[in-house]
Amino acid sequence: MAEKSRAASYCINCGAYFGLMLLLMLLCVLPFEITPGGISTPRPDLQVAITLAWVMLRPQFLPTPLVAAVFLLSDIFFMRPLGLWTALMVLTVEFLRARERASRELPFATEWALVSLALLAATGANWLILYAFLVDSTGPGPVLLRFMATMLAYPLVVLLAQWVFGVRKMAQGAMDAWGRRI
Amino acid sequence: MVRPNDTGEDYFRPVRRILLGGLILCLLAFFLLWRIDNPRTERFRAQVVDKILPAFDWILVPAAQTAGMLENFQSYSRLYQQNQELQRELQQMRAWKETAQQLEQQNAKLKHLNNVQLDPKLTFVTGVVLADSGFPFRQSVLLNVGQQDGIVDGWAATDGLGLVGRISGVGSRTSRVILLNDSNSRIPVTIQPSGERAILSGDNSRLPLVRFVENPESVKHGDRVISSGDGGVFPADIPVGHVVRGADEHLRVKLSADYNGLDFLRVLRSHARPPVSDAGGLIVPAPAPGASVLADSQATDG
Repeated sequence: MAEKSRAASYCINCGAYFGLMLLLMLLCVLPFEITPGGISTPRPDLQVAITLAWVMLRPQFLPTPLVAAVFLLSDIFFMRPLGLWTALMVLTVEFLRARERASRELPFATEWALVSLALLAATGANWLILYAFLVDSTGPGPVLLRFMATMLAYPLVVLLAQWVFGVRKMAQGAMDAWGRRI
Repeated sequence: MVRPNDTGEDYFRPVRRILLGGLILCLLAFFLLWRIDNPRTERFRAQVVDKILPAFDWILVPAAQTAGMLENFQSYSRLYQQNQELQRELQQMRAWKETAQQLEQQNAKLKHLNNVQLDPKLTFVTGVVLADSGFPFRQSVLLNVGQQDGIVDGWAATDGLGLVGRISGVGSRTSRVILLNDSNSRIPVTIQPSGERAILSGDNSRLPLVRFVENPESVKHGDRVISSGDGGVFPADIPVGHVVRGADEHLRVKLSADYNGLDFLRVLRSHARPPVSDAGGLIVPAPAPGASVLADSQATDG
């Protein structure tokens, strides 16, 4: 019985992530404002910010195939080059997942810096690869501004998770539902 | 890999690492495929969007309309101002109406004189904008008409005021319009009245660039820009906008189409013109019956 409820909570958490990402994608795709945003109004990539916050708060509820599926779907919908950003996001998420346990006792600023560096590396790699493959891409300026907007949104996402949904960072010796250390 | 608690199990780690590497390699291979065989993967993309997006029709259309209503509501606050503006415009329009009527009569007379036949194939399909690209560095919209309505890649889309973009990617029920300011958009244009040919290339800004003008001196601020139809893939003579000089001294185009309120778009049916393949034969009078005998005898003499 307990086993069943644990599986249910796992499914609910993963489903919530997937639903949230789908909702964000639909909101982005809605034809509210078709005019090009450009440099004047850099907007955060909320999908990325929420995914990174999720992996730092609850890595056990973020299976890698789900991340790949979500970002591949947004690659398809947002007319981005297919697969490249997905691969980079999977790498970033895995990189952070491996360092999540070590960052639990560190102050938030350190975690923020870690996440920022990881995302900066992914953004830079994305731009460089597109440049090397002669894909007609945007200049580095708007891309950097968008990265900064995303990183400014990251603490807000974490605060929202803490205050509204009550999700805090796990303690050093936290046990999972099966009684094992995570 | 999907198992919730794989972190503590030592024997699972290498397997997980291999699977992860495989996943990333697959994704990178997909990217390479996209780069190498772009048309096929873009068709795949159009099919996926075509499968998924119409299922969310019930939320997309009402949401867009609610946003439109909110915008209208905001404009109530400027009601007086708008009224004044409209009255001023109405006066101007009355003057224009007179002119238009005179021109219409003149035009009818001239057409009669010329016996002009307008192309009956130049018709359009109207579609509603379902969604935009959702990504700040790609400018495109999705229409709710597709292969079922006879839409073909490469047709032009206008909003009644001017050119909006080009169809690129057709699903069975949806089609994508690449807007003129997308960084992948290149449209051959003519600048009137100088008649200069140029390429209108988008760069993610509000004002797309005019490139490859032969004599930039002959192009002035405010010149009309229309599509030229060079290359034969895009219909000619669709109004695009007016030339402006950007802050960086590059020639740019202020688009006539109202990009803030794209809701209904007309997709113009255009049909491929037959190509001119050879230089054409020499037109000579039909030879008289005796002429060939004469030519033969001359040839043997020489």
